[in-house]
Amino acid sequence: MSIAEIGNVAYLPPVSAQAFEARAQAGAPADFSSWLTAEVDKVNGQLLAADKELRELALGGTQNLHQVMIALEEAKLSLQLMVQIRNRALEAYQDILRMQI
Amino acid sequence: MDYFAAFAISGSGMATEKLRLDVTAVNIANANSSRGQDGALFRPLRVVSSMRRDIRFETALRAYGVALGGVQVDEIRPTDAPPRALYEPGHPDADARGYVTLPGVNPVAEMVNLIVATRSYQANVMAMNAAKFMAQRALEIGGTR
Repeated sequence: MSIAEIGNVAYLPPVSAQAFEARAQAGAPADFSSWLTAEVDKVNGQLLAADKELRELALGGTQNLHQVMIALEEAKLSLQLMVQIRNRALEAYQDILRMQI
Repeated sequence: MDYFAAFAISGSGMATEKLRLDVTAVNIANANSSRGQDGALFRPLRVVSSMRRDIRFETALRAYGVALGGVQVDEIRPTDAPPRALYEPGHPDADARGYVTLPGVNPVAEMVNLIVATRSYQANVMAMNAAKFMAQRALEIGGTR
């Protein structure tokens, strides 16, 4: 591989500080960890909702069985998404950890 | 996640078809009732549904200028099916000529409604499963395990 190929990286648009700040002020979470915490809270909410539906079903208060199943599926999908995000984050971390200095 | 909008839409369809099944069951159960509520004869019921605007789905489709949503039940309306007359002189509700007036429930039509409701419910479940399948495939993007 020649050095010239690495030079292509320079053609990527540079990240401007103004654009980043503008996005942060627009309400988007500034850092990854606060975003991740919010997402984990959301997943926890989904799991709690599914748990509540299941309890309702056990108590005989559920109107429709499919509502319980849909709540369970939503919780399952949210958890799967969270697990995949964790996998990617951990992979990136391990890649950096293995980096030769 | 926008997949949850598809879940909600299919869920509304399932709820409506379940109600159709319940109403058909009421019709079949009352096919031989010679008295209804308040002295009036029971009339076969039908579920009337219409499209519901779903806020969650609308936000997903606003970019395309389309407003779509699930289904909602407008009303459960009695039909104008003419009552049947059965000749049974000993019946307590028989009239002077010995005829008992029974609801105009058509058993064949009710069975067809039953099958349609079951199959429609199944179709809604299939649509929901397809959305779930898509979401799971999306989660597999770039995955090693």
